[in-house]
Amino acid sequence: MTTTLAGGRAARRQTMRRIRPRRSPAVPLLLAVGAGAVAVLWLWWSSTPSLADTTQKIIAAGRITGLLGGYLMALVVLQMARVPALERRVGSDRVARWHAMSGRYTVSLVVAHVFLIMWGYARQAGRSLGDIVQQTVTSISTLPDMGKAATGTGLLFVIAFLSIGPVRRRLPYDGWYHVHLLTYAAVFLTFWHQITTGNEFAVEPAAKTFWYGLYGVVTALVLWYRIITPVRLNLRHRMRVAAVIEETPGIVSVLISGRRLHRMGAEAGQFFRWRFLAPGMRFSSHPYSLSAAPRPDMLRITVKAIGDHTSRLRELEPGTRVWAEGPYGALTAQRRSRGKVLLVAGGVGITPMRALFETLPGAAGDITLLYRANSTQDLALWGELAKIADERGARLMYAVNSPDGERPDISADSLRRKIPDVDRHDVFMCGPPGFAQSVYEALRGAGVPARRIHHESFEM
Amino acid sequence: MRKSHPVRRAVLATAATVSGIVLLLSLKPASDPGAAQAAGGAAPPAAAQSPQGGAQPIGDGTVTGDAVSTQYGAVQVRLTVSGGRITRAEAVQAPKGGQSDQVTSRSVPKLNRAAVTAGSADIDTVSGATYTSTGYKKSLQSALDKARAAGGPGGGTGDGGGAGGGSDAGEDRARTVTGDAAQTQYGPVQVRITVSGGKITKAEAVRTPKGGQSDQITSNAVPKLNQAAVTAGSADIDAVSGATYTSAGYKQSLQSALDKAGG
Repeated sequence: MTTTLAGGRAARRQTMRRIRPRRSPAVPLLLAVGAGAVAVLWLWWSSTPSLADTTQKIIAAGRITGLLGGYLMALVVLQMARVPALERRVGSDRVARWHAMSGRYTVSLVVAHVFLIMWGYARQAGRSLGDIVQQTVTSISTLPDMGKAATGTGLLFVIAFLSIGPVRRRLPYDGWYHVHLLTYAAVFLTFWHQITTGNEFAVEPAAKTFWYGLYGVVTALVLWYRIITPVRLNLRHRMRVAAVIEETPGIVSVLISGRRLHRMGAEAGQFFRWRFLAPGMRFSSHPYSLSAAPRPDMLRITVKAIGDHTSRLRELEPGTRVWAEGPYGALTAQRRSRGKVLLVAGGVGITPMRALFETLPGAAGDITLLYRANSTQDLALWGELAKIADERGARLMYAVNSPDGERPDISADSLRRKIPDVDRHDVFMCGPPGFAQSVYEALRGAGVPARRIHHESFEM
Repeated sequence: MRKSHPVRRAVLATAATVSGIVLLLSLKPASDPGAAQAAGGAAPPAAAQSPQGGAQPIGDGTVTGDAVSTQYGAVQVRLTVSGGRITRAEAVQAPKGGQSDQVTSRSVPKLNRAAVTAGSADIDTVSGATYTSTGYKKSLQSALDKARAAGGPGGGTGDGGGAGGGSDAGEDRARTVTGDAAQTQYGPVQVRITVSGGKITKAEAVRTPKGGQSDQITSNAVPKLNQAAVTAGSADIDAVSGATYTSAGYKQSLQSALDKAGG
């Protein structure tokens, strides 16, 4: 729980001893993914003795794109398996961006694969490019597992189409999410044709073992971390809504009780995906940060009522069952590399900052919180922030619009004026994308190195 | 929080992927370096351009055509030539798996018969097996070309050699038997033996692991294994060190050939 250390050099040294920044495993992971891709290309290389003519080259290109697509497909699923090393060390936001990027790339590879293979087969059968549709029908009806593969690929294309930015924004989140879950079916359906018709797997039994291993491991991780782990978590902790408190107009806190909640391993700055088992809310799960350090009997989230789901939170009855998955997120004390920390919150982005403000170890004057809101009435949780600041000798600042609606000046100069040694701070930041971008630029201008600005963004 | 450039990223990813694939494709040779060896005895190119051209009699022995890939898998034809005629045609590779098994088992025997009867690659397509037939004909043609290139008497990889034309010469006739293909970690191994007077007079590998390091291992180990098989007269031969998998596959295929020859 809260540790408040008295000022002085001894206390600072003690704090510094505890700061051991953990490096994100992103680079080694990306290297491993690259090595796997090279292995897949080698598989093609070693099982292809020669390419006699253009037709063979087209088919070979189709096989390469198919193999890479099959390999990446497994990784795209793996990125969403909620593996703790990814969610808590690399960061859920970054992994979600990887997922979106590699998903787009994989679908592009699948398009290229289908086109090249069918074109190559059509040429081999003495037909022209114009007969590619006819060739596709022939292949689907005659080759083993191709019916399944065609269904899966069609499904994949529908999912990809619905995930294109403008289309996705027009869909309700829950609807989009549930369609997106069909990716599992698509991957399952397309898997089999890789094994039965894949030239490389027929020639090389070791390759088949490798492929089964890859998909087997991913399946096991998905089952374990997306199903078994949440079931165990919720059976063990049995969470319920304890109370709903209106903090400011439009911002509510939900208190959640449960058993031995400190054993969930949640840290300040992390979030859970919450599902409230109340009518109309059962089928949607939303990520909300903890707005206070977890207590053995109580968790708290604080949410701004902007959407459909968030508005309904206000009407939650105490006693409602809660299904939570987590903890996720890497915006925690482990990112810290310096004694001095600046926390920057924009609007409801205060929630994880509030938890960090309370729990980050530090001597008096080490921790500063800068809180940006539209007006002083919108400064949710201000009372308790002031109390924490008082107790631990931390600095608390706010920036609100002037009465005529003018935005406050948050620039490199103003930051340097208010916090002269800002360039020697670690900065944790949470807020809307536009705000985060402008503060990021101001911080960089004030001399804070990029590696010390820690930010979580769920924008794709 | 660096600015992202989605369009630039997409263009880069596409360019990198396309150029990578084109590079890989261009690095592959147009013809299989191993195939030339498999043609056996590979006569100097001049022989193929001899004035007699296509009219040149085809050499005795067995010759294996190029593997021709079809939509359903590869087709590869092996011919046994004796006295300038095709005495036997067989497919050492044909499409497998799923529906293909059925199509193959129906069409290949017909194609084999047709090849022997016609003595050329000018054979009819088996209906319902268009792809297999087309591949078969191509591989057959390449086998015939190779047999011609190998040229006159004694030029082939023949089982008869000096005993030319003795294919029906009573009890002492030489038989060639091909064992089952044995799968190894590096590729299939298949052994063909020539049995004469109850003894193995010749052993050769018709299929061996290919590509990369395998080429080297194969060219080192297979001749030793062939010799050992002839000397031992059984599958009880020593493994060649450094070629454990190939040796094991060889012995397995050799045993199956011996079983077939005995039965």
